[in-house]
Parts: sequence; structure tokens; C-alpha cells
Amino acid sequence: MGAFIEVTTAGLFHAAVLFLVAAGLQLVFGVQRILNLACGSFYALGAYCGVTAGSTALGLGVPPLLALPVLLLAGGAIAVLGPPVERVLRLVQDRDESLQLLLTFALVLMLQDAVRMVWGSSPRQVDGIYLAYGQVQALGARVPVWNLLVLLAALVVALGLGAFLKRTNFGRLLRATAENRRMAASLGVDTGRVYAVVFSLGVALGGMGGALVVPSSAATPEMAVELVVEAFAVVVIGGLGSMGGALAGAVIVGLLRAVALVVWPELELMAVYAVVVAVLLLRPAGLFGKPAA
Amino acid sequence: MPATRRSLLAGAAAAPLAGLLPMPAIAQNRPLRVGIIAPRAGVAGTVGEVGLRGVEFAVEKINAAGGVAGRRVELVIEEETSPRETTERARRLALQERVDVIQGIVSSGVSLALGPVLEESRILTVYWDGTTQDGVNETMPRSRWVFRSTDNECEAVMGSLMAIKHWRGQFVTVAGINPDYSYGRNNWAAFIAFLKRFNIEHRIVAEQWPRVGGMDLTANVAALKAANPDLVFSSMLFADLPVLMRQGHAAGLLEGRKWVFPAAGFQHTSLKREFTPAGMIFGHNTLYFADPQASPLAREFVEWYHAKTNDWPHWEADRAFFAMEVWRRGVEKAVQAKGASAWPSNAEIAEAMRGIKVVSLGGPGRMRRDGIAEQTFTQGPTVHDPRYDFPILDPAKITKLDGRGLQKPEGGDFWKWIAEAQFDI
Repeated sequence: MGAFIEVTTAGLFHAAVLFLVAAGLQLVFGVQRILNLACGSFYALGAYCGVTAGSTALGLGVPPLLALPVLLLAGGAIAVLGPPVERVLRLVQDRDESLQLLLTFALVLMLQDAVRMVWGSSPRQVDGIYLAYGQVQALGARVPVWNLLVLLAALVVALGLGAFLKRTNFGRLLRATAENRRMAASLGVDTGRVYAVVFSLGVALGGMGGALVVPSSAATPEMAVELVVEAFAVVVIGGLGSMGGALAGAVIVGLLRAVALVVWPELELMAVYAVVVAVLLLRPAGLFGKPAA
Repeated sequence: MPATRRSLLAGAAAAPLAGLLPMPAIAQNRPLRVGIIAPRAGVAGTVGEVGLRGVEFAVEKINAAGGVAGRRVELVIEEETSPRETTERARRLALQERVDVIQGIVSSGVSLALGPVLEESRILTVYWDGTTQDGVNETMPRSRWVFRSTDNECEAVMGSLMAIKHWRGQFVTVAGINPDYSYGRNNWAAFIAFLKRFNIEHRIVAEQWPRVGGMDLTANVAALKAANPDLVFSSMLFADLPVLMRQGHAAGLLEGRKWVFPAAGFQHTSLKREFTPAGMIFGHNTLYFADPQASPLAREFVEWYHAKTNDWPHWEADRAFFAMEVWRRGVEKAVQAKGASAWPSNAEIAEAMRGIKVVSLGGPGRMRRDGIAEQTFTQGPTVHDPRYDFPILDPAKITKLDGRGLQKPEGGDFWKWIAEAQFDI
């Protein structure tokens, strides 16, 4: 039982981070129809901002137990990059998807170099947070509290995002713009503002995902590319543009990886991409995606 | 065949590169140029930086003592990245910078691809940590220009011997978490081969192969814990090792098990005491910074390094020092053999380097006749010492082994050697 809980929690921890990045990707695609490879870069930027903010906070005497809000703020703060980057991407909004992929991949490379210039090329870690939160022991399992907090944070973000999209006026404007941009604009919706907010929200989600992983791991310039591949597997499984799909896809990928590592480690990646292939063959729109008309 | 303008030009271009012709007397007054290729970014970036410190220390000492056979040494530094880019940089060092020798290279992936190019281009090269191994097999059995480091598996061989020496009869179930490329795969296979060689009853309960640079190891940690091994062998050595240790500690994986990390020395100062328990076997490869039996030279280097960086060096500094020392001694031997008449060619220097013995920072070593280095390796169980915020080796249990006993002999087969050689543990 203990091992089952530990393996499941480890899978869900990875799923939580994947969800945050994939949710940003889905949000931007759902509203703006832009396939944003740079979501991985915002994840990396969030991680580096988390390292800086976490280390600074600890250096200033902030108790490690307050690190969670500090890191969430640091990761979320990179939302300031949203409006200018969105303005650039708007140039390819109605263009061919391959052009969008090329432009956003160029952004990935540029931001990777920017990270190298600011933080250097060596992996960066922030000590003193992960272990300060201690562990929970139950039913023979021992799980780091930080991992559970990351899970909880992702869950709160998922619920908050759902409530924001469904219950707020801006959420309705946002959904209206996603459904029919021209109609929304003709009815007086400032679609430019909607795009800027949506993109910034996507950036913040990725940034928070990155900031939440640094206490347990490390920030590296390469982490952007690593995660974006998995994030795309998530959206293919869940369905492009669907927030519920992002959640389901992230959970499937996270758990599949964790279980594969126990059962047959050699198949860790193959297991994930076998599901991707199966979804593409049997349900091309993804588990929660709308089939093309 | 009559000489054409093209053949003369080609010959003129190749001559200084090949070093086949004695240099003109006027060139002998210029400093000797040493091209260094080292990683400066990515997961191996810090490794390269430590190596560069080793070079800096060596060159400071050489120049202070009057240079190599009377000629000062100058460095030209390039970055080691992908095999293709690094090959281009090596060519640039030889053709544009006209270096006398190239030293460096950490990744065997790079050095394996680079070796044949350097050999064909007749560029005298001494690798720091790179080999020309395809798996455990040597691809350049008797290269003329390329001299390489010790076999990749030396530390795994010693780590396996240490595990058997200290914990024989105390474990049955074993697991491995090793980087997913030939180094990790071969190290794990070597460990298992040694268990068989010494008739150690064992059962493999988990094999984890995380990607190099993969920083989320929570699922690997959970999988290892689920397997509940008595002993875990891990040849992880880059920035992912402290991550494994921290995540493993938080999940309770490290407690109550025996751990062998034959390459932990690469990350020793990052493995903080707060999450790295004592009692693990750590390998420090060819340089252990706190070696109580260290030579005065090694002590001087460690102090010099600490004063400059506020950190403690690891073995890459020694590999770089060793490479420089082998080349320096080779040049001086060749110059002595040649007499005062002319400067020796690179071919003569390369020949002089074969079989040469040197004392490096980590202890005595030699360059075998087949161009493969043999050095002294250091490993042992760890303890916590209040002077350091990371574990060090238990001074009473440090083991040093001559490289001769840790790698297959010239032309030998690695697996056959494990099965048949005598090992003194």
C-alpha cells in the first residue's frame, strides 16, 4: 500500500507541473489559435525566477515555510512578459500553423539564450526549502509535504481557472472571443485586451509550474525544451484547446511514467507515446477535444 | 611524380599541423601554444571550469619554472559542445591558432567522434576525461597522435570492489539508478559482473535509467523505494545527482540501505550533509581534495583552488593537470633526445609520451604504450565532518588503487578481464 501511494503521488506531482504548463498552452490555443512552443520557456523562466526569489527570500530571513507563496508570486510575475510577446505573436495569429511553430520555436531559443546570459549555464538550485516542509507518513508511505503542496496548488489553479472562465464576466468575454472572434469584436469586446490577458495568464501558469519544481530539483536552460515535448503529449491526449483535457492528459502522462518506471523502466517514454499514437488513431481530437466539423 | 603547385601548397599547409618537420629555429623562440577544449555550459559546465583551474595551476607552475624546455606556455581556450561543433573548433585550433597540442574533452561522446579526425589530421592531443571507447571496447587501439584518459569503467570497477570489500554478506537485493547512456549502462553491467565474479549471491530488483540532465526524479525515487533494495549502485555524476539525493532523502529512500556512488566526487560539495547521510561509498576518481596522504603539490593545489573559488576541487582538475604533465614531460624527453640541434617534431614528442610516468595531483600515473592513461583512484565510505557541509571520506577507511589494477590491459577484453583477473580487495 505504501509503495502504491508513493508511486501514485510521484506520478501526480509530475502531472501537476505538466498540467500548469499544458493549461497555459491550451488557454492560448483555445482563444488565440496559436500553438505556443514557448510555453516551455516560460516554465524555465519561472524556475529561474523561483531560484532567485527563493534564495533572496531565504537570505533575507524569510522562513522557508513561506516559500510557497514567494515562489508562486515569482513564477506568476513573469506574466509581465505576456503583453509584449503576445504582440509579436499576433503577427502570425491568422497565418499558417507551421509559421506559428517556427516563430514560437525561435522564441524558445532566444529565451534560452536570455536565461544563459542572466543566470549562466550551470544548473541552479535553491536549498533549504524542500526539506523544511518535512514529510507526511501514513499507511506505510512517506511523501514529501512539498510534493503534496504542489499538487494542491495545481488543483487550486485548475478550479480557479474553471471558475474564472465560467463564472466571471471576463471569462464569458474570453469564451465568446474563443468561439467567434469577429462576432465578439463586432459586439464591442476588446479582443486585443482579451488576447493580452489570456496570453499573460498562460505565461503565469507556465512560470508558476517552473517555480514550484525548483525546491525539489534544479533549473537548467534545457528544461524548456524537455517539458514542451511532454506538454504537447498532454494536449494531444487531452484534446487541443480543452482545459479538462489538459488535466486528464497530464494525469495520464504523469501516472503512466511513474507506473512504467516501476514495472518496466525501459518503456517510460514509449508508454506515454504509445498512448499518444493510440489517441491520434482512435480519437484524433483527443479525449476531451471537439472533433473537427 | 613531379611536384605540382597544388601538392606543394597542400604539403606546406600540412607540415606544421603534422609536426613532421622540425620547426625553423626562429619559431623555437615563440611560446608553446596549448589549445584547451572544455565544456563551459550545461550539465558539464562546472566540470569544465574545474578542469580549467587545473590547467591554470599547471601552466602557472610551468612558466614560473622557466617553461617547457625553456619555452613559455600560452593557452588558447575553446568550448566543448556537440561532437560536430567541437571537431570544427579543434580544426580551428590547429589550423588558425597553430597550437602545438590540444588538451581537454570531458564527454566520451565527443572524444569518440573527435578521435579519428584528430588522428587523421595528425593533431597531437591529450584528452582529460574523454575516451575513444565504443561501449567498453577501444576503437583506436594504438593511435599515434591521440592520447586518452583512463577507461570509463575504472570508477565502477573500484566501486564494485569497495562494495564487496565493505559489505559482502550484508546485501542480497540490489538496484541500480544510472544515467541512460553507455557510461551508465556499462558501469551497472560492470558492477553486476563483479558480483558474479566474486560469487556474491544477489537479486536485481530494479534498474532505473534517468536521462542525463533530467531533474525530476520523484518517480524514479518512488520506483526504487517500491523495489526495496538492500544496496543501490549509482554512477550518476552530473547536477542530477544532488537532485536524486535530495528527493531520495525527502522520500525516505536513503535510510537503511547501502549506497555506492563511484562518481559522486564530481558533485561532492553539492551533496549537502542535510540530505546526504554518512556511510555511503563515494568515488573521488583521481583526486580527493582532503586526502590525508596527499603530496605537498596536491595540498598546494587544493589550497590554491580554495583561495580562488571558495570551493573544493574534484578530479577534473587532476585530469587536466595530468594531461599537461604528460605532454610537458614528453616534450622535455624528446628535446633531450634530440639534442640542441633542433626542436623535436610532434611525432617525436608523441613517441616520447608513450610509457612516460608522471606524478599528478591525485598520485602517480603513467601513459601506457597504447596511449591510454593509468592513474591512481580514491574511494571509501563517507562520514560527516563539522568542518565541511558535505560528506567526506572516512580518513581511516580511504582506499587508493593503482589504475593498472582497475582497467583492462592493452588490447584486452573488459568482460574477460573481469572474469579472469586477480583483484586484491
